[in-house]
Amino acid sequence: MSERRPFHRPQPRRWWAHKPYLAYTLRELSGVAVALYGAILLAGLICLWRGPAAYAIYLRMLRSDASLVVHLVLLAGMLWHVLTWFQILPKTMPKLIVRGRQVPPRKVTAIALLVAVVCSAALLVVAVAIGVRS
Amino acid sequence: MRTNVVRPAVSHHAAPKRSVAPVFWLLFGAGGMLSALFGPALIILTGFVLPNGWGLPASLADFSHVLGFVRHPIGKLVVLAVIALFFWHGAERLFLTLKDMRAGALPVLRLMTYGVAAVLTLLTIALLLAIGF
Repeated sequence: MSERRPFHRPQPRRWWAHKPYLAYTLRELSGVAVALYGAILLAGLICLWRGPAAYAIYLRMLRSDASLVVHLVLLAGMLWHVLTWFQILPKTMPKLIVRGRQVPPRKVTAIALLVAVVCSAALLVVAVAIGVRS
Repeated sequence: MRTNVVRPAVSHHAAPKRSVAPVFWLLFGAGGMLSALFGPALIILTGFVLPNGWGLPASLADFSHVLGFVRHPIGKLVVLAVIALFFWHGAERLFLTLKDMRAGALPVLRLMTYGVAAVLTLLTIALLLAIGF
């Protein structure tokens, strides 16, 4: 009876659906929302390649209620991605030191979120400007 | 007295074994940053504003306008960057999550995530070239 019997800490099969890990699971799944949005754009590219008739069907589908709901869900996932992405940022980038002091992680997150808001707002403003000119 | 000669574990002729993980990590990071900075505005534009003509002339979503954008070299680059990097970002996150969930054999999981992202990236490039300049 000298066989090695290491201790395995019991772990529930669906550990990822339970509390300390649920935040991690939701954060990782926001990446799936990002990819699904890419798939919607790719579908549009396929319709564009097939010609005006296929593209008209694509546009009609984008105007449907189902598409609105899907895009609202994807937008929620995307916003969750933005928030969590910049919450991780201070952990993934080198320590930011200004005048001999480390910039606190919360401040890095806040500044990065502000930059993200400016970038998204700028893109919308450019789109509206193009729309007004044409 | 014997002197021990310290030899490198790997000879100079054989290249050390390198991991491909940094490549996936780079694509994941690029897609994550691009979507974090511009993703919300992109969804609002292509999901709500453009197709419905809310706040913009509806003609901007016309076949000819969108075709003109995709035929432009910069437009092509934007479309490729957004679609491909978003796929690679999702693939990396899904792969690591499924791996942690022990959802299946690693080669199968890799095929389901990185494999799909690679095929869809090639499809995007092919479509952009087929649409022409």
